[in-house]
Amino acid sequence: MAKKPSNKSFEVDLANDDIGEEVRINLFRLQLECRHVEQRANDLFLQNLIKGTSHLGLGQEAIAAGFAGAMESDDYTFCTYRGHNHTLARGASMTGILGELMGRECGLLGGKGGSMHLTSVEHGAMGSYAIIGAHLPIAVGAAWSSQYRGSSQVTVCFFGDGTTNIGAFHEALNMAKIWELPVVFVCENNLYMEYTPIGNVTAVENPAADRASAYGLESIIVDGNDADEVYRVAKKAITKAREGKGPSLIEAKTYRHSGHSRADPGDYRPDGELESWLERDPVKSYRQRLIDFGFPKEEVDLLEQEVLNRVDEATETAKKSSPPSEEAIVKDVWADGGSSWRN
Amino acid sequence: MAELTYREAVAAAIAQEMRRDENVVFLGEDIGAAGGVFKTTVGLLDEFGPLRVRDTPISEQAILGAAMGAAMTGLRPIAEIMFSDFLAVCWDIVANQMAKARYMTDGQVSLPLVVRTANGGGSRFGAQHSQSVENWAMTIPGIKVVAPSTPADVKGLFAAAVRDDNPVLFFEQKSLYASKGEVPEGDHVEELGKAKVLREGDDLTIVALALMVPRALEAAERLEKSDGISATVIDLRSLVPLDTQTILAEVAKTGRMVTVEENPRLCGWGAEISSIVAEEMFYELDGPIVRITTPHIPLASADHLEDMMIPSVQRIYDEIRRAFS
Amino acid sequence: MNVIMPQLGETVEEGTVSIWHKKVGDIVVSGENLFDVSTDKVEMEIPASTSGKLLEILVLEGETVAVGVTLAIIDDGSKANEVSVDISTKSEENFSNIDNQSTNRSKIAKEKIGKRDSLGNPLSPVVRRLLTDNNISPDEMSGSGSGGRITRGDVLAYLNNNVPNLNNGQKVVPFDSIRKLTAEHMKRSKSTSPHVLQAIEVDYFSVNRARSVVGEAWKAQHGFSLTYLPFIAKAFCQVIKEFPRINAHVLDESLLLFDKVNLGIAVDLNFQGLVVPVIKNADDKSVAELAKEIWSLSEKARNKKLLPDEMTGGTYTISNSGAFGSLITAPVINQPQVAILSTDGVKKKPVVLETDMGESIAIRPVGVLAQSFDHRAIDGAYSAAFLKRIKDYLQDEEWNVSLD
Repeated sequence: MAKKPSNKSFEVDLANDDIGEEVRINLFRLQLECRHVEQRANDLFLQNLIKGTSHLGLGQEAIAAGFAGAMESDDYTFCTYRGHNHTLARGASMTGILGELMGRECGLLGGKGGSMHLTSVEHGAMGSYAIIGAHLPIAVGAAWSSQYRGSSQVTVCFFGDGTTNIGAFHEALNMAKIWELPVVFVCENNLYMEYTPIGNVTAVENPAADRASAYGLESIIVDGNDADEVYRVAKKAITKAREGKGPSLIEAKTYRHSGHSRADPGDYRPDGELESWLERDPVKSYRQRLIDFGFPKEEVDLLEQEVLNRVDEATETAKKSSPPSEEAIVKDVWADGGSSWRN
Repeated sequence: MAELTYREAVAAAIAQEMRRDENVVFLGEDIGAAGGVFKTTVGLLDEFGPLRVRDTPISEQAILGAAMGAAMTGLRPIAEIMFSDFLAVCWDIVANQMAKARYMTDGQVSLPLVVRTANGGGSRFGAQHSQSVENWAMTIPGIKVVAPSTPADVKGLFAAAVRDDNPVLFFEQKSLYASKGEVPEGDHVEELGKAKVLREGDDLTIVALALMVPRALEAAERLEKSDGISATVIDLRSLVPLDTQTILAEVAKTGRMVTVEENPRLCGWGAEISSIVAEEMFYELDGPIVRITTPHIPLASADHLEDMMIPSVQRIYDEIRRAFS
Repeated sequence: MNVIMPQLGETVEEGTVSIWHKKVGDIVVSGENLFDVSTDKVEMEIPASTSGKLLEILVLEGETVAVGVTLAIIDDGSKANEVSVDISTKSEENFSNIDNQSTNRSKIAKEKIGKRDSLGNPLSPVVRRLLTDNNISPDEMSGSGSGGRITRGDVLAYLNNNVPNLNNGQKVVPFDSIRKLTAEHMKRSKSTSPHVLQAIEVDYFSVNRARSVVGEAWKAQHGFSLTYLPFIAKAFCQVIKEFPRINAHVLDESLLLFDKVNLGIAVDLNFQGLVVPVIKNADDKSVAELAKEIWSLSEKARNKKLLPDEMTGGTYTISNSGAFGSLITAPVINQPQVAILSTDGVKKKPVVLETDMGESIAIRPVGVLAQSFDHRAIDGAYSAAFLKRIKDYLQDEEWNVSLD
């Protein structure tokens, strides 16, 4: 299903609606949560309440939401350090995420992991990874595990366009295919490696989709800013994996509204590029789509307000949480909770 | 008791654990159909089948990454890295991922896995296939490090490593694969982090690991017979967790320590032990701590040269005699 | 709400306000650009994070200030600086304890002795320590090390042969390793547990009767006598089920109770020290089995053949002090156990018996059982009830000891 992204307005065909209102409301809510939490994270930087660095996924919400909407709760996800959206979309709490970014005790990781390592095993969010490509083979391992145990869990692995040029990407795809593992690889192509346009450093035009054939896989491209499109593609690939028919590689075209990390204002972007992508802001488009599908505007606004309220509440709770205590330093190196290397 | 070679003990250990727990799975290059390039995994594919014993492509990062992902999601994988030198190819997974995942996730992630690998020199494989790299593993917080010297310890320590809920790097010494020893029958489990005193003496305490253990024992015999120098020999067996108490107690008894390691000179495990003893046993020391190591030079391949570089029985004997003169 | 200088990059420490988009008195709406900041790397527009009236501008255009400094104040109805938690980091904590976890056993030598002897040979750290501790001079002995160096062995040999005589008939005898370990354990135990001693008298008439029935045959068969200790151990194991808080370890603020009884029996090593071998699962054993195991463990202890496994895992300890006829002993608790029992001397004494026909006096073998318990874990009444039950058991049980 190789589909080029387009600016054509979506056709509302109520009679053939394969997605349905319930899913759509869920997809919208997920995108709103991602957007507003991420926006709040940005604000908290500027208030100096978040230290270090953070990699925002503003503009890429449709991918996290579309896939989350298509997964079961016991499926596994692996993502990169740009993983706030993905962790939130699997069900991790806003307080946990904002708290972790602010280095507080209430943080998802007790303040010990930070922005780049958000994990919530109870929600199947098996980690955010800061070394490019490392989590692809790890995701392969999780898929191997569910295949071995016969559990029908599917693993979805998110990464960026830059990852397609590192060794671990190739090792993971090859191994997933030869063992026909239930893993879906999702490349979020936001056009920039870090500060360099991906086109300058990649031998092929579509960094993930054009490599699929090297691993015996179908080339799949989707408009990463259209949550419905993402949902359809996701559902198909996840179902295929769940039925034991092997892995998929999907390239989702998207754009990030902010720089690579906090230090980066994104000056390398050509004039007008950000603006044109902002017109295709996934959240904005999806709000309009709901209205086009007959969803009352007041209820859409209510939904958004409810999300904002929850973000505010989470922010306040996280702000009130104290920094982790000294005891946290020596906990949880080993399975017994300790850190001792000698007697 | 049965007499097994070190390599047979490897297969026996893996089989023992895979029989005991169906969540134990095994992957690596040429481990299944070929029985392992060192013939350490013969018979496992036949007994456990291709779903539990998986031959992989040459993809070290994928091998260890897959082991980690499987360990995070309910299995207890064993991964083989054919030569310990190749750990450099997938060191990110060991040092940045496996060692840190539990800590960074505040205890959410569990990694009950074992990475076993053929370590060390003496087999004339040249500099890139003969390194002793257990000291690399020792420097990363969050990894347990084990290196047995006998077939019995191979079986017992491997069982302990599989049953440990933490990531364990298990270093087999490739030049010991043909060595023989008595191995207890039945379920044999040793304890990680416990050194073994193999010989008691009065004049000095020798601390050794893996291939250096039988050499230290032979040197100790020679020292006693020809020079009346009586040595205690400790087989360290684990670097992490470290059995510091045994080392300190034995050094207190004799007042002198010599470490014998296969690592190159700088930052081998002996340096750490020496530092601990110098700090905590200073007032029991009757003379300087001596480290016997491979020189800080890549290992030459010619047999004559390799034998001069890795500490031999003769060199251990000579250096200790010199330290006591 | 205070508007502060944001940190625009991971290593950026200050910024310059280049433009204010609003002036004092203006209404600010959350999200609209409030001011521009420049650093040497970047220029950025900063939106307002709240809505309200801009009350005050504290840092003017062109001024450079450090990250975190207040630039302006917006009246948005909230209290100024809502950081309700003090998040100033306590850095510079000294983590050396956590870091190398050293159990520093070194003693600081008293440095009376120099680094070399009068012949110019070096004196090693252990030699200097031994010489200092024993107040002897290196000149009093000859060295067998290279070049005549005095070795550790030389000093130890010297000490063995000449226990140094200081002034006024005093001698210094250094502690050997067992003594040192015992000293450390006893000191720590007393400073950890508030010890309470509680004693009860036991009439060993029934026990003695059982002992005399099998006594000779037992000694002939096993080579050692059947003493009171296995009976007391048996009584303990039976009674302890009703007092689970005594078969336990004291943790920081809790008790760790055990289902099974691992009974430690203190053994004196010919006045050279104490060791406590442990009878595992003592509650499964008969008097005969207990007697045999006590004997074999004691023998092993005296011959220094105890395995590490036989010295660990104890849940309670019995110290058989009574061999020399002591009246009562206040034993020191074997940490981290809750209590320890001393079995003191058994001696014939006149006791008052109450029978149907009134009171009379009889001669009975009587001995004291004295328990030291940790008052953090249990109270006197519980301990007393326990002792009473043991006394009753010892006195009333129909003892029947098999020869095996």
